[in-house]
Amino acid sequence: MNVNLELIIKHFPFLMQGAITTIIITLSSFILGLTIGLFIGIGRISKIKLIQIPSSIYVQFVRGTPMLVQIFILYFGLPSAFNININPYAAGIFALAINSGAYVAEIVRSGIQSIDKGQMEAAQSLGMTNSMAMRYIILPQAFRRILPPLGNEFIILLKDSSLISTIALPELLFNAKLVAARTYDYFSMYIGVALIYLLLTWTSSRLLNYIEKRFAIS
Amino acid sequence: MIKVTNLYKKFGNLTVLNGISTEFKRGEVVVILGVSGSGKSTFLRCLNRLEEPTSGEIWFEDQLITSQGKNINQIREQIGMVFQHFNLFPHKTALENITLAPIKVKNGNVEDTKKLAFKLLKKVGLEDKANYFPSQLSGGQKQRVAIARALAMKPKVMLFDEPTSALDPEMISEVLNVMRDLASEGMTMIVVTHEMGFAREVADRVILIDKGIIVEEGSPNEFFNNAQNERTKAFLSKIL
Repeated sequence: MNVNLELIIKHFPFLMQGAITTIIITLSSFILGLTIGLFIGIGRISKIKLIQIPSSIYVQFVRGTPMLVQIFILYFGLPSAFNININPYAAGIFALAINSGAYVAEIVRSGIQSIDKGQMEAAQSLGMTNSMAMRYIILPQAFRRILPPLGNEFIILLKDSSLISTIALPELLFNAKLVAARTYDYFSMYIGVALIYLLLTWTSSRLLNYIEKRFAIS
Repeated sequence: MIKVTNLYKKFGNLTVLNGISTEFKRGEVVVILGVSGSGKSTFLRCLNRLEEPTSGEIWFEDQLITSQGKNINQIREQIGMVFQHFNLFPHKTALENITLAPIKVKNGNVEDTKKLAFKLLKKVGLEDKANYFPSQLSGGQKQRVAIARALAMKPKVMLFDEPTSALDPEMISEVLNVMRDLASEGMTMIVVTHEMGFAREVADRVILIDKGIIVEEGSPNEFFNNAQNERTKAFLSKIL
């Protein structure tokens, strides 16, 4: 069994098209997931039960069910239940964001809880309200601490985005499947795809390392 | 200025404060003593409601701090607090630690607040450390910045919760000197400490708390030389 390099090179532009879609989908769902995760994560430690309980249920549900099932519910389930059409891009981005949001929520929660209690007390003793203390004291410190696990989450999301190839969205893996089906050289195409994913995750982790260093407390 | 009546605090089944009543007058320096676990820190933390009392009343001037509807943040602006572990904000410089609350909470003018902060840093002997981060300061310096931070809100009373207990011995005096200066300027101070020298020299009144009640209360002279209560005598014999 040999890897047919020529074949990979021949279809490289087509694969890169898919890779660009993968990057765009990953970035948009990550940003959306970050927003969801910030609110749900703070909600998880809220003293208000009406916020805390739904947030916990969200995390439990999303973490406790397979991502592929979530994607299918969004893309195949909802349209048939409500007789609507969902664009695969929207379905893909939302499914990834909803999933990632739950993991980000846990990262945010643990980040906030890792900040010494004395910080909140000092802020309160100066007359700050809870939200002020969160905004100026707790979150900026928590943010620096959660950067490494957030980077980790980004890389997981990048790889998991391959799952949306199942809803006919022309991202990296989907395009590779098309070529493979046409040429019958599955081995070469999937090795090629694996290498491109490796390149993407490697570049991302370099970038994330750089960001982490920039935000480190002197 | 602060009046406490029948203060109780329970953590589950554990009663930490068992009915404390006392009063703090304007300009008074009161030192609270007691063995660890006696409830002295809990008592102090009840005064700005960092700890929620189980029952009892605390009046600050004409306002009932302990009433549920009370906007406690507004009262906390007027009650400065200094912690055992400093609790400086590590992501902010010394200057920013001091200016943050006056600017955000009191909507203070940025330039005026900076001027005030430099004045306070000078007062605690750290004007050259304005742009240092807490991690670049020694323990004693951190605590002095923390005092300046509390003073920047122009509080009417200052609470000190074992301000020197986490310091190396050689740094204790630099913090006590700042507190001494503050006392001589007429600041109302309530100090939980193990520094007997400070209690003797600076306090107007010394309170001994044991098992959640006040067992002895009096001038330093009465307290250290003429204690009445057996528990006070036992406490003094342990520490002197």
